[in-house]
Amino acid sequence: MTVALDTSLPSSCARAASAQESRYRIDRPIAPSRAGRIVALDDGAAEVVARTARLEWANARFYVCASADGDDLVLRGIDGGPATLADELASASVVVMVATSDSGAGCAYALGKACWERGIQTAGLVLGNGTHSGTAAAAAVAALRPHARVLLPDADELDVIDILTALRV
Amino acid sequence: MLRKEINDVLTRTGPGTPMGEMFRQYWIPACLAEELPEDGAPPVRLKLLGERLVAFRDSYGRYGLIDEFCAHRGASLWFGRNEEGGIRCPYHGWKYDTTGQCVEVPSEADNSSFAENVKLTAYPLVKIGDVLWTYMGDPEKQPPLPEWEFALVPPEQTYTSKRWQQCNWLQAFEGGIDSSHVTFLHSGGLKSDPLFKGAKGNQYNLNDTKPFFEVADSEGGLFVGARRNAEEGQYYWRITPWVMPNFTMVPPRGDHPIHGHFWVPIDDENCWAYSFDYHPVRALTEAERQAMIDGHGVHSKNIPGTYRPVANMDNDYLMNREKQRTGEWYSGTEGIAIQDSSLQESMGPIVDRTKERLVPADSGIIKARQKLYRAATALRDKGVTPPGVNPEHHHVRSAAVVLPQKEAFLDAASEDVKVRPGMPVSSV
Repeated sequence: MTVALDTSLPSSCARAASAQESRYRIDRPIAPSRAGRIVALDDGAAEVVARTARLEWANARFYVCASADGDDLVLRGIDGGPATLADELASASVVVMVATSDSGAGCAYALGKACWERGIQTAGLVLGNGTHSGTAAAAAVAALRPHARVLLPDADELDVIDILTALRV
Repeated sequence: MLRKEINDVLTRTGPGTPMGEMFRQYWIPACLAEELPEDGAPPVRLKLLGERLVAFRDSYGRYGLIDEFCAHRGASLWFGRNEEGGIRCPYHGWKYDTTGQCVEVPSEADNSSFAENVKLTAYPLVKIGDVLWTYMGDPEKQPPLPEWEFALVPPEQTYTSKRWQQCNWLQAFEGGIDSSHVTFLHSGGLKSDPLFKGAKGNQYNLNDTKPFFEVADSEGGLFVGARRNAEEGQYYWRITPWVMPNFTMVPPRGDHPIHGHFWVPIDDENCWAYSFDYHPVRALTEAERQAMIDGHGVHSKNIPGTYRPVANMDNDYLMNREKQRTGEWYSGTEGIAIQDSSLQESMGPIVDRTKERLVPADSGIIKARQKLYRAATALRDKGVTPPGVNPEHHHVRSAAVVLPQKEAFLDAASEDVKVRPGMPVSSV
């Protein structure tokens, strides 16, 4: 069935896409849509995550992965305070993992598995750009690949900020 | 979301704007060669990057792209007479050559030098493949000619079309690196389009609607890898290259021709979608070429004599709710190109990106915006030549490959995403 054009009612057809009609779009403030949990998987990443945490965020919390043993993961807040994985994921809608080497592979596994079980979206950023050796970055990519729904292998600090900004965390 | 000031930078391409100056670093498609099919052909009006121009091919076969308006009283040279090595304004007879130089002002004395001092803005216009390319920047900084594979293969191996899209270039381009929409919006086409169907990879696509993504930097822009489950221990990877600022390729399917796009700003609220198909090692079959002419694959069925799609904003894209219901056309509009353009145009002429709610799967788009902004501001502030100007950066291909799960896609497929003359594309 083909729809005939009614030119007398521009708002009722695709012509509503005009700049003029755009004035009538509902314009209400948008609440933060994502409760973000940003986790540094190793010491190199912790520095970047700590700097990022100092910026203004609506609904983001920042952590460092302290240790991992199988499915058990110990987190601490970026300020050093204790944090429990189950509690922190309870209200999370996206987890962003940041790594510079594969030393956090165990953390990535535990975190990825916990997120998968809870239906939480994951993203991974591997910081390279000369700050760490190519081998370490490649190892980090391999460690994160199975657990991050989206992976940025050649990221830098600005990528972390831009991704979080775009996600409105 | 994107801050308004960044959205403004990325979407404005007129003269003097940061993104406009960046586009003026590149050779970009100005029009199709078929628009000027013979020496002395009628001139063509076109607008590029917010500048109104007229393209013509003079009686000696030279191509010109000059200011549309006569220097005398401002009449459009589209009405011009293409005669004896130049285009003559029919109003008072002023004549210009392909460099924009006025060569004749009939009202002046025969030995007058007045015409020598009249020159219209002109840009080079060069035919490579099916496309006439122009460079609208500083002549002193004109880069080497482009080296895109689709434009360099023999004519029988390539086909290019174009269509007018009524929205800003950026939202059209962003569709080109957004792999996750294919499984939904174009799902019907994977099963039925003559230029898509039958590939084994299509089944991987349809079986796994939640791909994982990797977004990797390249010298010219990005590679966006979308990975889906394949057989035990293997992933099916679809790798999309983006070369800055506006070139994208679609990962191939089986032995079908490989395709891609250029997204060229007309002005800030319109763009040209150039769509190409080519096969690196064989001629297109008659059936393939006809399918492209008929608007299948990435091409569109246009109103005869124009480059405007038959299905467009003014007829609600010939929406068909019955085919939408059955899933034959997932969105209810026909064809890959119109499925994309209808939704991208529905966002408005320049979408307000401060209102977006992006998800991690949009990371390719997020990263591309960041790279565009960085390059535009680096050019503006420090004069840094942006990625993609160097023809070496043009030597890319898309790829569709099955790899062991432990392999990094760009390590394992590093040769697959490079142009290898005489070698087929890597495709499943």
